[in-house]
Amino acid sequence: MTQPQMIEERLVRAAQRGDTVAMNELLDGLTPYVGKICGPIALGDGPDAAQEALIAIFRGLHGLENPAALFGWARAIAVREAVRVARRGQRQQPAELAELPAADDPQLLVDVQDVLRRLSPEHRAVLVLRDLEGLDEQAAAAVLDVPPGTAKSRLHRARASFRKAWRS
Amino acid sequence: MTDWPETELTDVERFRALAAGVPGAAVTERVLTAEPDQVKAMLADLTIFAEIQADLVSATVLERDGDRVVVLAKGRRGQRARLTGQFRPGWCWLQSRFLIIGMAVAAEPGGGTRVALTGGIRVPGRAAIVPIRVRQESAKTLQRLERLLRA
Repeated sequence: MTQPQMIEERLVRAAQRGDTVAMNELLDGLTPYVGKICGPIALGDGPDAAQEALIAIFRGLHGLENPAALFGWARAIAVREAVRVARRGQRQQPAELAELPAADDPQLLVDVQDVLRRLSPEHRAVLVLRDLEGLDEQAAAAVLDVPPGTAKSRLHRARASFRKAWRS
Repeated sequence: MTDWPETELTDVERFRALAAGVPGAAVTERVLTAEPDQVKAMLADLTIFAEIQADLVSATVLERDGDRVVVLAKGRRGQRARLTGQFRPGWCWLQSRFLIIGMAVAAEPGGGTRVALTGGIRVPGRAAIVPIRVRQESAKTLQRLERLLRA
């Protein structure tokens, strides 16, 4: 799981009150985290996705009710923007699907970027949330705004394509 | 799983995001032919920084903690502003109660340097800039910067 840099609640509140220097501090803290989320989902469109995500974050910051939830809120925005931007620029077809390895299966240690390129943005998103961010099925489904069963099946398909790629 | 691809943003891309959260902070960008290091070095000099800003006659660092600074800026009509924020090569974000100044620099793919600017009269205490002549003043600042780089 990624370990986002801690951001104090008072800094978030100061930014929400209109302190642009505090916003600048938030930008420093959020940018690497947003880049970690957007990179594996949007791949070559990662910079566009991360920029769009940060724009949405700063435009919507005043509406964040619980400053302690900053990173979870930012994560949901980053995933949404990464999928949207990746779909816009998508040139690859999803991989054919096979069987399910576990998250810690050593067979997953393949050329991650190459396999990610063969997945749809939605499949990459669920992989990021479950295997990079460590969310459980319910939480990942909530971020993706899909039923838990859908998130589960996407994860199975995504992991399966890693095994398939490793075999080929 | 290892080796997840990560995305890194340039300072100009980060700058657009920050400015998007400040109503009125229209961003003006220009690609200059000069090398990024030359542009960054020039803008890191507060004397030059003040010289190219429309309404400033001087800017002096009062306090510095790494790249966090307190700057005293003096205007052409005798006004003074105590600006706080971040100032490092290629990045500037400063605010006082009545003023916001922002600038970012990034290498342009294919050559040259992209410079992005915003700034103007701050709506007191708020994350907003009075939307009057923001782009015009930024364009003038970029013109002055280009002239200095050619000199």
